[in-house]
This record gives sequence, structure tokens and C-alpha cells, in this order.
Amino acid sequence: MTSFIDYLIGGVSNGAVIALMAIALVLIWRATRVVNFAQVGQAMFTTFVALTVQTLTGSWALALVVAMVAGAILGVIVQFLVLRPMRRADTSGAIIATFGVLIALQAAVGMIWGGDAQAYPQPFDNAGIVAFGRIWPISVYDFVVIGVTILLVIALSLLFTRTSIGLAMRASAFNPEVARLSGVRVSRVLTFGWALAGVVGAVAGVLVAPSSTVSPTTFDILLVFAFTAAVIGGLDSLVGAVALGVFAGLVISLVSGLSNSGNAPVVALVLLALSLITKPDGVFGHHKARAV
Amino acid sequence: MLSITDLTVSYGPVEALNGVTISVPRGEVTAVIGANGAGKSTLMRTLAGLVTPAAGQATLDGEIITRKSPEDIVRMGVALVPEGRSTIPELTVEENLRLGGLWRPKADRRTTQAEVFDLFPVLAERQRMRADTLSGGERQQLAIGRALMSNPKCLLLDEPSLGLAPLIVTQILHLVRRLADETKIAVLLVEQNAVTALRMADTGVVLNLGRIVQTGPASEIASDEKLRHAYLGY
Repeated sequence: MTSFIDYLIGGVSNGAVIALMAIALVLIWRATRVVNFAQVGQAMFTTFVALTVQTLTGSWALALVVAMVAGAILGVIVQFLVLRPMRRADTSGAIIATFGVLIALQAAVGMIWGGDAQAYPQPFDNAGIVAFGRIWPISVYDFVVIGVTILLVIALSLLFTRTSIGLAMRASAFNPEVARLSGVRVSRVLTFGWALAGVVGAVAGVLVAPSSTVSPTTFDILLVFAFTAAVIGGLDSLVGAVALGVFAGLVISLVSGLSNSGNAPVVALVLLALSLITKPDGVFGHHKARAV
Repeated sequence: MLSITDLTVSYGPVEALNGVTISVPRGEVTAVIGANGAGKSTLMRTLAGLVTPAAGQATLDGEIITRKSPEDIVRMGVALVPEGRSTIPELTVEENLRLGGLWRPKADRRTTQAEVFDLFPVLAERQRMRADTLSGGERQQLAIGRALMSNPKCLLLDEPSLGLAPLIVTQILHLVRRLADETKIAVLLVEQNAVTALRMADTGVVLNLGRIVQTGPASEIASDEKLRHAYLGY
């Protein structure tokens, strides 16, 4: 029983990172009906940028901020170079194009920083916290990860509910034609959405990096988990992305702890399949049919 | 004043509008009537910038509005209420209204919102509710309210009566009449429901297969039996 609880506690910060990546996917999906498979590639690229900044300056926080800025810029570049020209094609074409971007980014990182896995320095104490006479499977760094995630989720929900750009984003996602007729410059709003998703993905990348290594392909597995969480959460729902992201972290931790970490992706895909069979709109998704 | 001159729109080989010329003075309601497929919605969508015309132009107080983006046309003072109660059901009533004037300074938006609430008191009562909880008639009021939030000089209404009970239709059209009288907005109204539309309009325009067959005072068009039989089917 103790180990069961330990695995659950240990999975929370991992789940927080999955939740962030799932949020990035949901942001793009809501606005454009495209699943951006390049999101982990963008996050991997910006994490390498962060690693460079961290190596040069020694500042973890500065590296995080630079990665966020780089994430925004890269998101805008991907949208302009790939998604805008693809707009007239159907969305499945655009989704395949994002795979192309992922492969291109992996190649670019290999050329710039090399293909070998590199260690990302540990910014905070990563040893289990000692309290009540035992070592807990959660570290100071895990609390930082969870804290940053909570802050970002709060900031995003305030952005969406309290600001003009948030209202413009929601309106553009729900009904772009009515948004345009209301005077909202929808294409600019979409670009902002890509930048925002890039920022969120970049944060996820920097947060997860110390607990793994960084190489052009290390984050691919994060895509599997984030995509699963986003789809089961309903793809449209930020709440769903957060809830299912954290849930995925717990499940992975349990499966890895009780059996073997290689089984985690299999379990994720089984859950994805079950969800698509039993609840294709997702747990938090609302049904698409609307009265006319 | 909205002036439409020789407007022609083609969808591939099909001409949806052919040399349409209409003037819509401020403070007046102009009703475009005609059967399904006459080109009424195409006319509205072209004026709002959603469709690019093949020839001709439209101006608002002398400024050309055709071939501009919908976002710019709203800013110039032409607002469209598209067919089918164009509210966003997932947003609240207040958010739908705010959306309509998002590009305007906050203070102006507040003033206009107060005016919209005066005109449609039911919207003030339901501010915090999601738009999909409103009845059909309330939603149409919200759609018109959203368009008014841009403080337009010209309001385009595409089939506001669609799917509404006759009593509600009369109410909505009365409000439109009041709007034109009180705010001196130019109203261009497209309707299949010719009888009700002509009763409250100043000018009637009969559209058939993309061409104007008759323009005149609404009361004359309403009483022209030959016209009614030939194009309006009653």
C-alpha cells in the first residue's frame, strides 16, 4: 500500500508536464482543428536553446524565460511557413505537415547541437524530501514543476475568461465567421494562439528536461502521453487536458513502478483506444451537434 | 447612405447577382424580397465582405466597402446579422455582445451596451447566461445586439424571421423599425416573409434569379398583385 501511494505521489510532477504539453495541443486544436505533432519538436528545440543559455549564464530562470520567448517565435514561424500555406488544403494535410515539421526540427537540432543525449543540469534539489521520519518520493524540484504548472494554468484561464484577446480567441475557435463579422482579426488571433501554445510547450520541455536527458528524440514519448491525455480529455477542453494529463502521469508512474516502464506507452494507447470506443468526444468534450 | 451599384457576383459559371443597384438611405428600412435562390444571402454576404464581387461596387457615405475584409467593413460602419441567429452558443450573452465591439475603446463599448440593453431589456436580464439557453426570439435579439455593438451606420439583416413564431417575427421587425427611426441607421433587410417585411419597410426591392425586377415604395410593391403572383408566390 505504501508503495502504491508513493508511486502516485511520484507521478504528479510527471503528470503536470504531460498536462502542459496536452494544453499546448488543445490550444492549437481548438483554434485550427489541427493536431500539432510538431509541438514536442518545438519544445525539444527550445529546450536546447534553454540548455545553451543555462550553460552560458548558469541561470535556470533566465533559461526558462528565453525558452518561452523562443517557443513563441518558433510557434509563429511554424504557423507562417507551414500552416498558413496549407490553409486551403484540408486539415488532414495540415496534420501530416506538422509531422514534417517535427522531423525537420529533429534534424535541425541534430545539426546544431548534435544527436547525442545531453544532461540538463538539475536546478533544484532532486532528492526525495525527508519528513515524518521517512523519505518521500517527491523532491523540491517536483514542487517547482507542479507550482509552475499551476501558475501557468491559472494565467491561461484568466487570459481566456478576463481579457479581450481571450474572448477573441474563444470566439474565433467556436465560430470564425461570426468573429470576423464582429471585427475580430481572426488570422492574427490564430497566430497569437500558435505563439501561446509554443510558450506552454517550451515550459513543459524545460521542466521535464532535468528528469530525463535532451536529445532530438527524447521528447517523442511525451507526445504519446500528451496526445492521449488531450484526446481522452476531449481535445476541446483545457480542463480535460489538465485533468487527464495529471491522470496520465499517475497511471504511468503506477505502471512503471508496479511492472516495467516500457509498458507505460502500451497502457496509454490501450486507454486511448478504450476512450475512443466508449466516449469518442472525450470525458470533458461537449457533443458537437448543435441546433441550427 | 449605403449605395450599391451594378453589383455582380459569380460562383464559377453561375451568376448569383447580376447588376444589382440599390440605395439605402439613413433612417429608412429597405426590404429585399424574393424566393429561395434569388441571391438575397449572396447580396448580404458580399456587402459584409465574405464574398468578393466580380463587378460593381458598394459605398457607405461615399467610401467604397466592396473588396475589403469583413473586419475592415465592420470598422467602416456596416454590420451584418447573418442568417440563422448568429450568436455563439458557448459564450454568455454579455460575451456575445462584448465580442461585437471588441475593437472599440472600452468606454464607447459601455455606452453602446447600455443602449442595446435599453432596446432589448431581456438581454440585460440574461447577461450572465449562456447564449444557448435563450429562446429563438431572444437569440435573434442578441444577434442584432451584437451587430449594434459596433455602432454601425448601416445594419444588414439576413432573414431575421427564419424559424421564429409569427408573433416574435412581428416583434423583432418592429424593433428594427424603431431602430431605423430613432438611431437613423440605414437598414437593409432581406426576407422571404414578404408580407411582414413590406409592412414595416419604406422601400421594397424584388429580386429574382440575381436580378432586380422591381424597386419602389414598400406599400406599392405589397399591393402589386402581378408582382406577387409572379415572384413572391402568394
